[in-house]
Amino acid sequence: MDDCYSGFSGTAWRERIDVRDFIMGNYEPYEGDGSFLRSPTRRTKALWEKCLALLAEERRRGGVYAVDARTVAGITNHPPGYIDQDLEIIVGLQTGEPLKRAINPWGGIRMVEMACNEYGADLEPTVCEIFHRYRRTHNDGVFSVYTDEMRALRRCGVITGLPDAYGRGRIIGDYRRVPLYGVDRLIEEKRSDLRSPGLTTITVDTIRLREEVHDQIQALEELEEMARSYGYDISRPARSAREAFQWLYFGYLGAIKQQNGAAMSLGRTSTFLDIYLGRDLRGGAITEEEAQELVDDFVIKLRMARQLRTRSYDELFAGDPLWVTESIGGMAGDGRPLVTKTSFRMLQALYNLGPAPEPNLTVLWSKDLPRPFKEFACRVSYDTSSIQYENDDLMRPIFGDDYAIACCVSAMKVGKEMQFFGARSNLPKALLLTLNGGLDEISGAKVAPEVFRVKEEPLEFSPVWDAFTKMLGWLAGKYVDTMNVIHYMHDKYAYESLEMSLHDTHVGRFMAFGIAGLSVLADSFSAIKYARVSPRLDSRGIATGFDVEGDFPKFGNNDDRVDSIARDCVVLFDTKLKEHPAYRDARHTLSILTITSNVVYGKMTGSTPDGRMGGEPFAPGANPMHGRDTHGAVASLASVAKIPYGHALDGISYTFSITPAALGKTPPEAVSNLAGLIDGYFARDGHHMNVNVFRRETLIDAMEHPEKYPQLTIRVSGYAVNFVRLTREQQEEVLARTIFER
Amino acid sequence: MERCGCGERDVGSVRGYIHSVETMGTVDNGGIRFVLFMQGCAMRCAFCQNPDTWLRRGREVIVARVMREILDYRPFFEASGGGVTVSGGEPLLQHRFVRALFEECGRCGIHRALDTAGYCKYGDFASVLDSTDLLLFSVKAVDEEKHVRLTGVKNDVILANLRLAASRHMDIVVRYVLIPTINDSRQDLHDIAGLVASLPGRARADILPYNRMGIVKWKQLGLDCALEGVPEPTADDLARARRVFHEHSVNLRTD
Repeated sequence: MDDCYSGFSGTAWRERIDVRDFIMGNYEPYEGDGSFLRSPTRRTKALWEKCLALLAEERRRGGVYAVDARTVAGITNHPPGYIDQDLEIIVGLQTGEPLKRAINPWGGIRMVEMACNEYGADLEPTVCEIFHRYRRTHNDGVFSVYTDEMRALRRCGVITGLPDAYGRGRIIGDYRRVPLYGVDRLIEEKRSDLRSPGLTTITVDTIRLREEVHDQIQALEELEEMARSYGYDISRPARSAREAFQWLYFGYLGAIKQQNGAAMSLGRTSTFLDIYLGRDLRGGAITEEEAQELVDDFVIKLRMARQLRTRSYDELFAGDPLWVTESIGGMAGDGRPLVTKTSFRMLQALYNLGPAPEPNLTVLWSKDLPRPFKEFACRVSYDTSSIQYENDDLMRPIFGDDYAIACCVSAMKVGKEMQFFGARSNLPKALLLTLNGGLDEISGAKVAPEVFRVKEEPLEFSPVWDAFTKMLGWLAGKYVDTMNVIHYMHDKYAYESLEMSLHDTHVGRFMAFGIAGLSVLADSFSAIKYARVSPRLDSRGIATGFDVEGDFPKFGNNDDRVDSIARDCVVLFDTKLKEHPAYRDARHTLSILTITSNVVYGKMTGSTPDGRMGGEPFAPGANPMHGRDTHGAVASLASVAKIPYGHALDGISYTFSITPAALGKTPPEAVSNLAGLIDGYFARDGHHMNVNVFRRETLIDAMEHPEKYPQLTIRVSGYAVNFVRLTREQQEEVLARTIFER
Repeated sequence: MERCGCGERDVGSVRGYIHSVETMGTVDNGGIRFVLFMQGCAMRCAFCQNPDTWLRRGREVIVARVMREILDYRPFFEASGGGVTVSGGEPLLQHRFVRALFEECGRCGIHRALDTAGYCKYGDFASVLDSTDLLLFSVKAVDEEKHVRLTGVKNDVILANLRLAASRHMDIVVRYVLIPTINDSRQDLHDIAGLVASLPGRARADILPYNRMGIVKWKQLGLDCALEGVPEPTADDLARARRVFHEHSVNLRTD
């Protein structure tokens, strides 16, 4: 043990599980620029070439390379797998072969059957038999208790994308604990928790928790066994940088072998790993080239991670994402930047290996970050469109200085907090339900109570707003109930025992709700208030269209008349949700984030009073509607920054696209302007910004000639995708978005 | 920070007519800039990218209102070293408005750039220059006959205004839109580079490649575009032009 820790300072982290204390006592902030960085080694290039060939083959096969349809997912269920054992310095794959996807029926057997069917894999009949007859899945659990109302709301698409048929995700194991402590110590701590007074007084809650901790210990034992199958003994702490990368990766690998959560993020690992790299570099055990090689190899592994999904799932979350989100940078509570050389090395991988959506690199941006790091990150954005930025100065006071982002924009303290993911509610649809007396404007089915009924005369703002408030109050209750059902069942039938074993036993929980279509909603109310909106009713008395006379202020132009409506809608929904208690005393949070579901939600929603035609996509996340933000990017950002983070604590996503020329005449000028834009937005309390720098023509060419752009990466709502892996419809929606140019 | 007293004085009520605003101007010069496109222009440049700003109509605004918006964007200016650019149209046709706006910006410490072709009375011009930090002065052609052909007006007033501005030793960038076959002959380039070199103070130059984006607007307005068949300059054309400026020891903005 002692030789594992030689050269490290501090005592608190040795006495208890406290990764943050280890980081604070041992990391070296780096305020310089990127001139020390190294290009890929010949070995890295050779390995990545092999991966590129595999990835091309995967695309050729329609998006799925292969499925292991015989072996149920689990930490130890697949044999060791390699890309090329001689070339790999970090090892481990989810199944026996690269890109081969495992089946994971714990969340739901039907999804597995559907996916196997869609991708032509023969699902092992015994697996079907077991999960239909003998072992209930999360999906079955949920549907055994859903009420008729919940089913109707789900079917009509006012609450949808719910994790009731697949793994919920959004849980970040503190994978750093594996190298720092070794698995034996982690097990020992969990055993001691089981003996603690908080867990020996028997109540319904402690019975559940005791069983969970029991499962956590078992998962840790399996993790150790899995590592042993690759020839590594992770029962003890890591002794070198290479071991630290390997141990940490095994922790993450175990998690994605066991679970297929929608977003399984990595956490905040770069600065932690930098401590190990620094020790080996100082001791002369490795060179800078070898340090970068470790980072590159680690990143290659993260890029090869896969889960088996159905096509309908891909519509919601396009481009096969895993959200291997890595949070980089930010400031420490004591005022030092948490930027280290490995923060640079992690971004450098985008140059060494070329752009890619994963890992989902997230820069925690503070006004106080060292200027050279800001410029380096912005330069990487300018060159690769592969980074997102989140406001550390806004999050740090709430989540401390060792939080990370799960998925796109969800902050949580690493190893201390988790969330119950809850997709989102389609609020433009809720407005239509309000206007139509609770009838679904598409099917005509009654799905909500009648609080109002449109007539064929111009809408007046106040009565519609009052009715909408009532509708949201009702909807919020149903939404919380539905989430409570889902997460009760997920804990029961698809508990993330490995991820949770890398958390403190007593964790803080969030229940993360969401809004889709905020700009459509705000513009609709603005139209009702400032223009003349007359509904057109069909024979059922349902408003299927709206005639809009006159102009009205539109969200995205820094116009308070409409921006305040957007703000009010968020505050209203957040407040209503909090009136209903959440499962396991979770704290309610709310996101303004759509992933790519803005296309699907738009499809499920009739014409809206803002003039949007039925079926047209919403804008992504908190973005203004396409083409309606006519005052330039800064005005658009100023509008979005008015949405209060305190009422949308699960994140407010803004996706920004600009042409290189519009950002600045020369690359250095563009980079400096981009840094200024982020600084300015975050000084206004903006929360998140995806940055895309590309020309429309490039995307059009990529649609016609995908083979020329295998690595073209763009940021969508909170994550990045391979542009060529989007469906035609999604590609067109991306093109329709505002791309700022001059 | 919104409370520095701006927009509260009498100048706040000065009226102007604007075409549009762009909150993320970056191409003109340093930093993120709030660009105010003023309505109206007396010139009729054959290569104009914004012919929709020619006529004097547009949205009426008062200085106080525009200032409120500008102050709202101050974090972006501060973070990027940006500020306000007034462009057009020809802003000097509304020199009272621009002067009032710039005075207010000056009081709040916001950097001010004026993007003009300088076609106005010197007195009007000078009244604005007193409150201008950076002058972007567009010269369309040095040869008078060519200037008339390109813009519909003579350039004697314009060149005189440029010299008078330069004699103030203020920050000046002379901008030259390089249009292949129209104003890119060796003689044209020596004329413009020589002109910049001859100015008192240290004026820089900026060569802007002509782009055909404006043609769409011409067509939308039902105008015949005289430059219909003219191509955009190539990288070689631009390099050749840059060399001529360097021969005259003129600093280019991108140097």
